[in-house]
Amino acid sequence: MTNEQCRRPDLLRRFVPTPYVFSKRDGTDRICIESNDLEVALGIWRSAIIERQRNQGGAFLCKLIRDKNAPVDVSQILIVSDGALRVLYLGRGTILIHDHKRSEILGFISRNVKVPELVLLLIPALLDLENARDWDRPAGFAAARHAAGIKEQR
Amino acid sequence: MRVAVDESSYDAVGEPHFRGLHHVVTAFFGRSNVFVFDILRRSLSASVSATVARDDRFWKEKLIPMMLGVLGSALGLVPLHCACLESDGDGLLIAGASGAGKSTLSVALAEEGFNYVSDDWTYLSQRRDRIVAHGTSAPTKLLPDAVKYFKNLQGHTLQTSMNGELVYEIDIAETFGAQVERECEPQWLIFLERMQRTGTEFTPMSPAQARSYVNRSVEMLPPQLFEAVSMQEETIASVSLLPSWLFRYGGTPQFAAKELRKFVIHRRQEVCV
Repeated sequence: MTNEQCRRPDLLRRFVPTPYVFSKRDGTDRICIESNDLEVALGIWRSAIIERQRNQGGAFLCKLIRDKNAPVDVSQILIVSDGALRVLYLGRGTILIHDHKRSEILGFISRNVKVPELVLLLIPALLDLENARDWDRPAGFAAARHAAGIKEQR
Repeated sequence: MRVAVDESSYDAVGEPHFRGLHHVVTAFFGRSNVFVFDILRRSLSASVSATVARDDRFWKEKLIPMMLGVLGSALGLVPLHCACLESDGDGLLIAGASGAGKSTLSVALAEEGFNYVSDDWTYLSQRRDRIVAHGTSAPTKLLPDAVKYFKNLQGHTLQTSMNGELVYEIDIAETFGAQVERECEPQWLIFLERMQRTGTEFTPMSPAQARSYVNRSVEMLPPQLFEAVSMQEETIASVSLLPSWLFRYGGTPQFAAKELRKFVIHRRQEVCV
């Protein structure tokens, strides 16, 4: 990127630096976690989601931004699935996107979302682990999902 | 575009909240109205309340222009933060920082006989090695002090625009009787600045200066959209080659519009000679 391009506006916050990167390459398989929040990056890296991805093989990217400027509003979880994208919203501040064709999870997390909630509830719900095999689901997911009252549109 | 309507929700259009990562852009207009743009696949999926689903003005004045801004990059359209007016087939792009007076000057130029294309964001495409500037159905936005210059604004109420500013959002054809053109071929690029004393100054700008200025007014695109990035660079290069001037003025927008009218006539005479 040239110096002039760097001075362009970033209205959508696409270019927030993500200095915390965990990655592992094994042949053509590559798992990469990127975040601007160490706790988020580490939490995902150590989670069952990564273990599941390792077993599945292929490339996987997870890029999550802790969004300190996002509005914090209490709301139920809404999931919208359309084509290759499945998008989870928790209020306006937390948006998680799973592009299953590109094997990517992208998203913004508002400051009130704790890492255990992200790892045990939100990402599994985004990946639709409700219908996955029992051993692919993190412990406590079903109860957490029931308690959160997830609303889904396909 | 696929839209799911939640008939049990009556939430009105709320404050906008935009975010983007890689090829995906999301937009909220209140908690019940969410839009997901997939730029690579050129698609939009949305979930909206029953109220928003039936709000014609929202779709025409907010969503369609926003779609052009977000998905346009995948269709060869480059959004540029500038106004665009047209006269006898020749387009005039007017760039300038927010608050420089692009919209006010656009209305004054429309009163001066120019055809109106856009006042804030213009979408550029390349057609057979020519640049084409496109307008949208977005309303013209004028800051509260514009009422000093335009009596037609009396009786209109101020509204909060998408960027949170208090503005008059008007249909320029309805309010000022302006002729609206959907597209034109830009011939000149003007960078607008205000000055304290009454008067005007036109200073020629080099393509490098123009490019530097234009570069700062287009949004960065992620590398995942490499085709759009390449198109954006080509369009910026082409626009920067247009004859460009820094136009500084002090006084009323009507005065500046008359000076710009003379300027355009003079430029045409130069070409004829």
